[in-house]
Amino acid sequence: MSDCDAIKEMLVLYADGALDPVETRRAAEHLTGCHDCRAEWAQIVRIREWLTDPELFEPVQDLTWQLLPEKLAGRVARLQSRRWTRLRFSKWALSAAALVALACGLIWTIRLRAPAPPAAQPALVAPGNEAFLDKVRTVYAREATSRYLAGCQGLLLDLACTEAKCNGDRYDVSLEVARARQLLEQKRMLDAELSVPDVARAKGLCDELERFLVHLSTAQTCETPVALHQMESLIEKEQLLLRIKVLQSGIS
Amino acid sequence: MEQVRRGDMHAYQELVRRYQKKVFRVISTYVRDPEDAVEVLQDTLLKVYTARSTWEGGFSFAGWLYRIAINASIDRCRKSDRGQTSSLEEMMETQLHQSATVGPPRDPLDKLRDRERRRLLEGAVRRLPQRQREVVSLRFFGDLKLEEIAAVLGCPLGTVKSNLHKAVIGLKGMLLAQKGVLNYE
Repeated sequence: MSDCDAIKEMLVLYADGALDPVETRRAAEHLTGCHDCRAEWAQIVRIREWLTDPELFEPVQDLTWQLLPEKLAGRVARLQSRRWTRLRFSKWALSAAALVALACGLIWTIRLRAPAPPAAQPALVAPGNEAFLDKVRTVYAREATSRYLAGCQGLLLDLACTEAKCNGDRYDVSLEVARARQLLEQKRMLDAELSVPDVARAKGLCDELERFLVHLSTAQTCETPVALHQMESLIEKEQLLLRIKVLQSGIS
Repeated sequence: MEQVRRGDMHAYQELVRRYQKKVFRVISTYVRDPEDAVEVLQDTLLKVYTARSTWEGGFSFAGWLYRIAINASIDRCRKSDRGQTSSLEEMMETQLHQSATVGPPRDPLDKLRDRERRRLLEGAVRRLPQRQREVVSLRFFGDLKLEEIAAVLGCPLGTVKSNLHKAVIGLKGMLLAQKGVLNYE
């Protein structure tokens, strides 16, 4: 490569001031004595001048440059406004969504903690069978009451017919005591049935008989004639046998 | 730029005034149609504001701005055929036709020569390879130093110098081929 070729390779950067001091001095010295390189140099400088022409790549309308800053500021303001609107809307939407989610979670939690609602019990009976069942229950109550009354009636009659079998003048009432205890158990089972309207009027007499049975169940197996007489007097006084017969005829 | 980053609109308008013409000229090396170039310019300057928080203070603001402008210009050229350059002959004919429709200048011959020379040079710049065109536009229209150009383009300083040399020599060759344009003055 000749000296001119090397210098011409540096002329663009020399014109730009981008060479180091040594190269700059070398190019300057060469240009002073080389006509061809000076011509090349002149063309490069001219190209640079044209490239720095302020009218190059510039539209004619100056109005554009005067209005552009305000125009862009307006667009920025509108962008910010829309962005703020979107932000506010998104905040509102997020808040609403959060509230909905919170409400759903709360409802879900309550439903989880709450006892499960009783499952709809299948009807044991059809509505039309209730009257039939009431009749069955009434019949059962009448029979149970009647059996209780019959038991009490028989016990009271037997008690009156008791013979002296113990030592001396005492009367053996062991069987009556045992029957009294059985009737007390029967009465306890009967209490639920005495709420049925058809037999409700028997409740008073049944309770009186129960108190008598309690007294009898606590008696000794061999009672004195006095004690036995007191029980018979009570039966007579309260007309228990007569009332039993009347009631039985009423409920049967 | 710090004031712009804080949302100061007056500072932003001042920044637009300072850079709008330079950025437009850089964009015009890619986008031939002036109206399209103005649109790209507006998009670029808007993006400067909306993306202001992404600018790293240690980096040249002008370099960052021109990088946005170049990217936007390339995108526009890809989307539109109007960004393509035409031959110098076609541009010459266009400019001659346009000059015939413009009002009478004070010095008609000189004005015509200047206008023709500018349009020929603009066409020649647009015909440069992309990297050479970037270096020329950033150096002469963006007023960046060679070191700043290297930072913007992400290449060594030597590459920038080499491309600048090739670009100027290439422009000289293209203009010399056009009826001795270099001898106008």
